[in-house]
Amino acid sequence: MPSLETTFCGLRLPSPFVNGSGTLDALVSGTLGVSAFVTKTVTLNPREGNPPPRIAETPAGMVNSIGLANPGLDRFCEDDLPRLAELGVPIVASVGGWSPGEYATAVARIAAHPAVVAIELNVSCPNVESGCISIGTEPRETRALVERCRAEADVPVLAKLSPSVTEIEAIATAAAEGGADGLVLINTLRGIAIDRTTLRPLLGGGGGGLSGPAVKPVALHAVFHAYAATGLPIVGMGGVSSGADASEFLAAGATLVGIGTALFRDPRVVERAALELANELERRGASGPEDLVAAAHPPTSTSSRA
Amino acid sequence: MLPPSRSLAVRAVEACGAYTLLRLARDGADAGVPGQFFMLRADPAPADAYLPRPISAAWADDDELAFLLEIRGPGTRALAAVGTVDVLGPIGHGFELAPGPALLVGGGIGAAILPWLVRILPDARVLLGFRSEAHAVCAGLVHPQATVVVEPELVTEPLARLLPGFEGTVYACGPDAMLGAVAALAAEHGVACQLAMEAAMACGFGACHGCAVKIDGRWKRLCVEGPVVEASRAVA
Repeated sequence: MPSLETTFCGLRLPSPFVNGSGTLDALVSGTLGVSAFVTKTVTLNPREGNPPPRIAETPAGMVNSIGLANPGLDRFCEDDLPRLAELGVPIVASVGGWSPGEYATAVARIAAHPAVVAIELNVSCPNVESGCISIGTEPRETRALVERCRAEADVPVLAKLSPSVTEIEAIATAAAEGGADGLVLINTLRGIAIDRTTLRPLLGGGGGGLSGPAVKPVALHAVFHAYAATGLPIVGMGGVSSGADASEFLAAGATLVGIGTALFRDPRVVERAALELANELERRGASGPEDLVAAAHPPTSTSSRA
Repeated sequence: MLPPSRSLAVRAVEACGAYTLLRLARDGADAGVPGQFFMLRADPAPADAYLPRPISAAWADDDELAFLLEIRGPGTRALAAVGTVDVLGPIGHGFELAPGPALLVGGGIGAAILPWLVRILPDARVLLGFRSEAHAVCAGLVHPQATVVVEPELVTEPLARLLPGFEGTVYACGPDAMLGAVAALAAEHGVACQLAMEAAMACGFGACHGCAVKIDGRWKRLCVEGPVVEASRAVA
């Protein structure tokens, strides 16, 4: 059976599978087989999150409006990070904010922790009124934010992008120009659920973010074009629930693959998808997941810098 | 840590008035304690029921786990139509049984978790409220001597008559409005009260943050803090 080991931004990881930010609390359930644990987005100040209902099931997926509930930077660094460090997997810390200064403050403090191997800049949360998502829809702001945070961290800095933009290439290129070491895409798509009885918005936060198998083609499109535009290493996610899904994301240009909503449905999904991917690699005669990266791109396309 | 997950065979699906009784072969699965819950997902699940459903057991025998369902949509409908159910659990904090008399209060499908509690507390007084006679059929599963009221009468009416001088614990499960009223009555009479609460939930193991409920004055994850919560913490 081929090894699933892979290298992402200089990090050697036992498999390409990570969790999507906000879809796993490793302190409650354990790491469930991920090769690196991506934290829920941390903001400078604590956030209680949006009023319920926060989730609505939709065809082949769900819409969520959690609202970046998190303990805030101080408690994250003092209480959570030391406990996360004991889990035995590398930690990727997701950071959000309402201004470049807020991001930079959080990045500087979190990146200094030895268990943190990378920073993910969440510039794409659909569930807050401003801040995060407005930055990630503006190439100039994205570039400036990444540049500022890049200067604060000695570990790789990744930009997590929204698919809810006109041209993903422009945002991805801006992140690359700002010095991003890698990209993470996609965050959830903007969505809304209407209560069939009251005909009012169902979620307490009004709108929300769509995830699950329903978004997979959108995610593959974003990964494909962000890779073609930048050649940066990519964590691809959006509707992944099997080894076959993972191989599609690798082919589109991802080096790592995130599993999110599928974890809610089945907490054993990462173990199963890893086994399926190993079987697929063997069937294809591949020596590892890196053999599949960018397979969907023509040979003349930008070469991988993974 | 992650609760255990099992695939359990469906032994029987039986109509129980407006509700449906789902009986699974327990097959050695950990049943937990009354008030804890399980995430149930039909196998195979239809495309419009992607997520599992959080449901507490009606009872656990040596060889059976039983769930009383209210068929509300594709997820619960699928549970009543398959041969196998994926079961994750038991999850969360169940009822903490206190010494002394017990008063069990169930509203609607909230009555579903009481049969098991009655087996452990056979001397408990049971009050049940339903929105129709068809829904009240399930009262027979809970306790033959249960006091049953049907709307427009509310279960809080007999409760209000019983609470003065009651020295024991109230264990309640039902819709939020009922739980709020029960908690208020219990507080008024200085009676200890535990509420089994409900919330829309995607995962059941702390990951999704979907099941936010006000506990201790803040939005907290019901799957982590509950589903059974001391009434004073839930309506502070």
